[in-house]
Amino acid sequence: MEHNGVKRMRPEEIKVCVLRIEGTNCEEETHRAFAAVGCNPEMVHLNQLTGHGPASARRSLEDYDALAFPGGFSAGDYVRAGAIFAARAKSALGKEIKEFVEAEKPVIGICNGFQILVELGLLPATDGISDVPTAALFTNDSGRFECRPTYLRNENRGKCIFTKKIGRGRTMMFPSAHAEGKLMSAERRFVDRLEDNDQVVFRYVSPDGRSAGYPWNPNGSASDIAGICNPAGNVLGLMPHPERALDAYTAPDWTRRRKKEGDGLAVFRSMVDSLSR
Amino acid sequence: MALDSLMSRKLQDPPVVEVDIHAASEDQLMEMSQEMGLSLSLDEMKTVREYFANEGRSPTDIELQSIGQAWSEHCCYKSSRVHLKEFVFAIDHPDVLARGDAGVMAFDDDYAYALRLESHNHPSAIEPYGGAATGIGGILRDVVCMGAQPIALVDPLCFGPIDSDAELPPGAKHPRYLMDGVVSGIRDYGNRVGVPTVSGAFFFDDRYTGNCLVNVGCLGIVKRSEVCNNFVGGPGEVLILCGGRTGRDGIHGVTFASVELKESSEEESRGSVQLGDPITKEPLMHACLEVNRLGLITGMKDLGGGGLSCVVGEMALDADCGAVMHLDRVPLKEEGLAPWEIWVSESQERMMLATTEDKVDAILDVFRTWDVLATVVATTVAEKRTTIMWGDEKIFEMDLQFLTGGPEYCRPYEITIPKGELGEVVPELPANEKALLSLLSDPNVASKEWAIRQYDHDVRAATVLRPLVGESNDTGPGDAAVLRPLHDSWRGLATAVGCNPWFTALDPYRGGMSAVDETCRNLVAVGARPHSLTDCLNFGNPEKPDRLGQFREAVRGLGEAAAFLELPIPSGNVSLYNESPKGGALPTPMIMGVGIVEDIRKCVTSDLKEAGNSIFVVGNTMREMGGSLLYRLYGGEGGEVPSVDLDALKKKIDLMLKAMSKGMVRSCHDCSDGGLAVALAEMCIGGSMGASIQLKGLGDLEPYELLFSESNGRWIVEVSSDHEEDWVALMGAHAQWVGVAGGPSLMIHGGGIDVALEKLKKAWNEPIWNIMG
Repeated sequence: MEHNGVKRMRPEEIKVCVLRIEGTNCEEETHRAFAAVGCNPEMVHLNQLTGHGPASARRSLEDYDALAFPGGFSAGDYVRAGAIFAARAKSALGKEIKEFVEAEKPVIGICNGFQILVELGLLPATDGISDVPTAALFTNDSGRFECRPTYLRNENRGKCIFTKKIGRGRTMMFPSAHAEGKLMSAERRFVDRLEDNDQVVFRYVSPDGRSAGYPWNPNGSASDIAGICNPAGNVLGLMPHPERALDAYTAPDWTRRRKKEGDGLAVFRSMVDSLSR
Repeated sequence: MALDSLMSRKLQDPPVVEVDIHAASEDQLMEMSQEMGLSLSLDEMKTVREYFANEGRSPTDIELQSIGQAWSEHCCYKSSRVHLKEFVFAIDHPDVLARGDAGVMAFDDDYAYALRLESHNHPSAIEPYGGAATGIGGILRDVVCMGAQPIALVDPLCFGPIDSDAELPPGAKHPRYLMDGVVSGIRDYGNRVGVPTVSGAFFFDDRYTGNCLVNVGCLGIVKRSEVCNNFVGGPGEVLILCGGRTGRDGIHGVTFASVELKESSEEESRGSVQLGDPITKEPLMHACLEVNRLGLITGMKDLGGGGLSCVVGEMALDADCGAVMHLDRVPLKEEGLAPWEIWVSESQERMMLATTEDKVDAILDVFRTWDVLATVVATTVAEKRTTIMWGDEKIFEMDLQFLTGGPEYCRPYEITIPKGELGEVVPELPANEKALLSLLSDPNVASKEWAIRQYDHDVRAATVLRPLVGESNDTGPGDAAVLRPLHDSWRGLATAVGCNPWFTALDPYRGGMSAVDETCRNLVAVGARPHSLTDCLNFGNPEKPDRLGQFREAVRGLGEAAAFLELPIPSGNVSLYNESPKGGALPTPMIMGVGIVEDIRKCVTSDLKEAGNSIFVVGNTMREMGGSLLYRLYGGEGGEVPSVDLDALKKKIDLMLKAMSKGMVRSCHDCSDGGLAVALAEMCIGGSMGASIQLKGLGDLEPYELLFSESNGRWIVEVSSDHEEDWVALMGAHAQWVGVAGGPSLMIHGGGIDVALEKLKKAWNEPIWNIMG
């Protein structure tokens, strides 16, 4: 469909590349999340994009309309989290990924995927895509892996295509599970500039939507930030897992109060709506 | 060395030694067994000598090593098999689809689930982080080689007291250090491979000091049409070794597991602990499951205990074949390994695939995409013999039935008649309220949040009930975890652990039965119908008759209970030789149960839900204080160990599940360690709500007995007020009304207890955080 010169797509036309390497381990539920909102996702190994592997399995990034970096421990994360996946992707596919982002196609990185986007310089990218990372997702203040429910307030003023259809100020439960999620940067006025650019997407809050410390902010992230987007709003990175909150029955307290659906679905639906309407 | 005269080089490079076993004296045979790390007895060495006399030649070192592996207790269950056959193996059920490296049970018409529990005790006592991590690695492979995608990990762990600074026996490591290492190992491996750790248990007792127990369980899901064999399809096939390279780590793991730990174990046996690599495992699992799904393989088996030496022979023999192995083709981590080391190494992250020649290229393509090594290493032959070639040189040739058959023993055992109330010493007890708070703070009861939150229990996004339940970040203990393995169905799988080693020490028969009872209670508490069990039987040295007697009685108890309840045990594991410098570890028949949830939307958790709802106790409370936490804490001795009424249990399970399916039950909690008082307190903690309870109506016992007895077959149930009449009519005499949910404190009238909710939470939540930091 063509409308006002912009390509409009039906949900099932949206091809999503769910990219993985060894140690990526949330690809199935990420795939399921895109399928749940009607998209056409495919799990693709990085080797399939770089041509390392049999020809029959070869894929090309430009054939996809959206790109997802799922959670996990890519390549073990024995260096900085996400660093190895990012280095490998950059050396073999740097140009294609840059073009993909510059074409304003949606890119989401969840947990380890967020760490990868930061390592790739695609986030925060406040001054454009950077060659070296300008921020880091540092070890949690507790020094431990933290698996617990977290509540996020949508803070975005309308730029991020993954939250456009979610009311500003709405509080949602996406669980967290990570050891390195504390967003930090040595840049001056880091948080202020994110705010100025409308790059802050999610903040950790208590279940009733108020600012709160640990454990509601599980990692000590600056200004309770849980997720950010790039200045264009098409690249989102967040530590908590919306793909783990697709139905009402994975919520931590569903036997006490029951919702119609999981809160995470809204993120994926928002992207589809942005591309299809 | 006295054996030098018997050894001659058969091959220079790599070194293969021929051993003149025929010229050896009895002393030299034993020396040979020890020096070579074979752990074979004199009689076993003589059997070996006789075999090679019939073959008309002397064995090579690699042949003797192979026998040492195959005949170890760990591999051939030579002391335990006779008892397992009598009580466990015969329990059959139409839903059992396979009894391979993991058991496979029907889940629905199209899908099956795989289950297995096993031990990694001795490696973890020496090197807790690596021991536990490779335990996880091993159990995942057992499930994968059935063709099943692992969906949950379950880790019951037993340590010495973590809150004591008493002097440790020589060679033993501090329980706190062990627990920290083991939990870290499970976390770093389980989280990296992306399989949620959803359930487990912690047991603390002085009798685990010096011999901790690390049991690891796994559940998997597989299409019934894709269940994989653990053996080859027939002669003329090839074997493909895939995954990690082979190195010197993990040499003699199984023989190390089949002797007692001693002061010098650390120095002598560190090399037997393998090195785990979850980031080789993760893509290896993907690739193995993919080639199975594509129908490219005829069989698959993991390389665990005994390494190649066990897997090649077993895969071939189970299809009445033999194999020709090209040992020089095995990819190595380092140069210079002797052939026998390659053959028995237990290096991790390796799987063996069987296939026909025409499918090899397609398989190698899949592994290339995943960046995982895969190498054709062997072919299968019709004759049931294994031959090993190094280039053109034959260095091994053995009859497979002789090699993998292994001895089977009826070792002498001694059964001690449990003393029951004879010799019972009732301890001096504080006021009940003080006792309750102390029990809640005992590490055996207190919150395990410190460990649970380090495990990713949500990855795969299929976890419906977690180990902690209640309000977010303000939780109580759950009874069983529930998963929803298929996303187009509401059918669920529940899993829980049951075991009471203290009951088992006093009365092994009732201990074995109690483990089954408790497992079922946990499953039923969330609304699951118990469906199958898997066990890990951790006992002492079977060469000591009293230890073997405990083993036999416990197996009899759990076997009888499982048979009566029609619960098959399609897989299991035995870990013997759990002894430490201080004596035997507590006899620990660990059970992991699996239940089917018809509709996960009807699951129930243990946290109290609504003020004003009535609370009932289901099942009878009796004067059965033997082995109770109350007695252990305050120095009681002996006493009647809780009995199991299987007939009543079966009826109660049916009634409870009926009540749950009709939506009558708002919360439900199994009553076990610490009895009624602790269970009620836990429901209050999870629900952030008090309760008002009265003891009259529960029977004519002392209040402390009603509060803290650990009688089996009991649940505490909060009933929705809309359904109370129906509930009472349904349950009849099985349920006794005891009070009402709500209020700021837990009040137990007639028990002298009135504790504010916050005080309960603090007592239960803080101890392990304070100890572990």
